[in-house]
Amino acid sequence: MSDQNAEMSRMRGLMLVAGREIRVRGLSRANVISLIVTVVIVGILAALPAIIGDDGPTEVGLAGANAPAMEAQLEAVGDYETTVYDDADGAEQAVADGEVEAAVADGKLYSEDGVDAELQAVLDSAWQAASVEANLAAAGLTPEESQQALATESLESVTLSEGGVNSTLDYFAGLIISIVMFMMLMTPVQYIAMGVVEEKSSRIVEILLTSLKPWQLLGGKVIGLGVISLINLVAMVAVGLGVAAGTGRLDSLPDGMASAALSSIGWWLVAFALFGTLAGGVGSLVSRQEDAGSVLTPLIMSLTLSYLGAIFLLNAPTSTFAQILSIVPPFSGITMPTRMAITDVPAWEIALALGLLAAAAVGALALGATLYKRSVLYTGSRLKLTEALKRAA
Amino acid sequence: MLEIKDLKKRFGDTVALDGVSLSAEPGEVVGFVGANGAGKTTAMRIAMGVLAADSGEIVYNGAPLGTEQRRRFGYMPSERGLYPKMKTGDQIAYFGELHGMSRAEAKRSTAELLEQLNLTGRIGDNVQDLSLGNQQRVQLAVSLVHDPEVLILDEPFSGLDPIAVDVMGTALKERAAAGAPVIFSSHQLDLVERLCDSVVIIGAGKIIASGSVEELKAREVKQLRVRVDTAEDLTAQLPGKVERDGEDYLVEGADDQEVLRIAAAAGRVTHFAYDQPTIAEIFREAVTK
Ligand SMILES: Nc1ncnc2c1ncn2[C@@H]1O[C@H](COP(=O)(O)OP(=O)(O)OP(=O)(O)O)[C@@H](O)[C@H]1O
Ligand SMILES: [Mg+2]
Repeated sequence: MSDQNAEMSRMRGLMLVAGREIRVRGLSRANVISLIVTVVIVGILAALPAIIGDDGPTEVGLAGANAPAMEAQLEAVGDYETTVYDDADGAEQAVADGEVEAAVADGKLYSEDGVDAELQAVLDSAWQAASVEANLAAAGLTPEESQQALATESLESVTLSEGGVNSTLDYFAGLIISIVMFMMLMTPVQYIAMGVVEEKSSRIVEILLTSLKPWQLLGGKVIGLGVISLINLVAMVAVGLGVAAGTGRLDSLPDGMASAALSSIGWWLVAFALFGTLAGGVGSLVSRQEDAGSVLTPLIMSLTLSYLGAIFLLNAPTSTFAQILSIVPPFSGITMPTRMAITDVPAWEIALALGLLAAAAVGALALGATLYKRSVLYTGSRLKLTEALKRAA
Repeated sequence: MLEIKDLKKRFGDTVALDGVSLSAEPGEVVGFVGANGAGKTTAMRIAMGVLAADSGEIVYNGAPLGTEQRRRFGYMPSERGLYPKMKTGDQIAYFGELHGMSRAEAKRSTAELLEQLNLTGRIGDNVQDLSLGNQQRVQLAVSLVHDPEVLILDEPFSGLDPIAVDVMGTALKERAAAGAPVIFSSHQLDLVERLCDSVVIIGAGKIIASGSVEELKAREVKQLRVRVDTAEDLTAQLPGKVERDGEDYLVEGADDQEVLRIAAAAGRVTHFAYDQPTIAEIFREAVTK
């Protein structure tokens, strides 16, 4: 048999194992139900802004002398829809009928039961600008001259510490990334360990190993569960974005959200390779499903710590601790993409974190595969890590 | 031809195999027998590449056995294993594919086997919902699905009802008739006697007897059984070492023609033949030596 054929049959073995995982686990009732539930929740969350409707353009009624100037001002601010009425009474009626949220006419602000601080501030400053313009015109300035006199630059923000928090939306982007990363690692990692123990406790591994190498068996499992997680994620993102687009809220997503999401997938792949193979390796140390929890504890702990670290980091993204936390593997798998979403991270830190995480993943692959190879055929009480490493393959 | 050559294997202080050799020709059914813990499972696992030997080798058709060839072998481990939550048909076909069949071939072969094993109606059931005996049949199907070139079966008959034993026996004979070497271990020596062309007896990691069934029987033949219709006691008259077994005389180490002459003179001889030991007796003899 030629090398090429042997290579092909090796890949085929790997893919067959992955395919079985996808068919059996991906199409299992538990997975399908949980996917449907998540997708429905994501859909509802994405539709929420449109349903509540507090995010759409605010409708403001205008009347009186300053109305055209106010209209121009509010248009410049954006996100306000103005209607000009013939007189103050018309504007007042429009508020009473609920046609507009608030109305400004002849120096009075009409509303049903007061307006929120933001609207008040916007209307105040628009009113003031319009009044100043009117006063200047009364003092004999042409509209061009008065515009020149009013032209001001808005404040430029200068932060002294490098990379501050960008905005509340970035905070939420970071929060969502950390939660999704955590879930996308936690679930498949547990399934991988359970699958390994299932094959071991049912002894089927002995037949499998007559036609597969241990690395194919472990690798196929990790790939299969990885694909299931990705499919679940893609379904969630597609439904979320689809609903947002359908309700016309797509452009209110923070800038760079798409690129942050994409780079998170890259981070996830590396972190998943690390946690997934380790889960397979430690899973092979036990022979009974009941013992799987105890060997998985260190992995679940580090995942939980990574997540908690990410939450801490969201609240203090520029601290030294956050900096270290987002570089040290395996925590960097979740903490770095979170930090990248909320603040600007120097390129060298990203490169260092990725390099370290990748190196750790390679180490985990070697360790996980070795553990698996040495202990997968061993039955009986739980193997200690050191015993497993001492065993001959 | 499959040859297992001089296998040695220790587990810590336990010597499981101490120079075990055996072979199976194409079409030959070899019975592998031995007491509990003698080393049968260990030897078969090494032959299937599931366990590494300390020394020794497995030779197939004159060359060391490689992974690709081994994928065309059929194996039934002593500790049975199936995916409990996978459908019977899917599971058998999956193993066919793992052994290198295309999806379509694997499906076709699965359908044929299920038909043969009377399991067609259970094709869509999860394996865990089958009875133990039916799970055994599925296990057999898993080891046969890819039309294996060689069969290595560790206690394939344990846990089967008499009908399933027949199905299994027929399946083995069929594969052998198609030219496959077949090696199986068993504690049911009557089955071994009925199915096997040759027998290998292992004790404490060493081969203590092996050969064709006739050879082994001939080698162990010692006693001449004589039954004579007479009231007289012939013990003193017959030559050689004579023992009574009920009405019969068991004669050892004497000229059979002389025994016949004396017996015929005493009365009507109703039985005169060398006792053929059963494989079970040969086994007992061999392991207690
Ligand atoms: N994984 C193992 N670790 C330690 N000792 C083992 C292991 N496997 C087998 N042994 C020992 O090797 C010896 C041979 O065992 P083996 O299972 O090959 O016997 P066997 O002939 O198949 O017995 P049985 O008829 O009970 O199935 C026994 O002493 C057994 O305890
Ligand atoms: Mg055994």
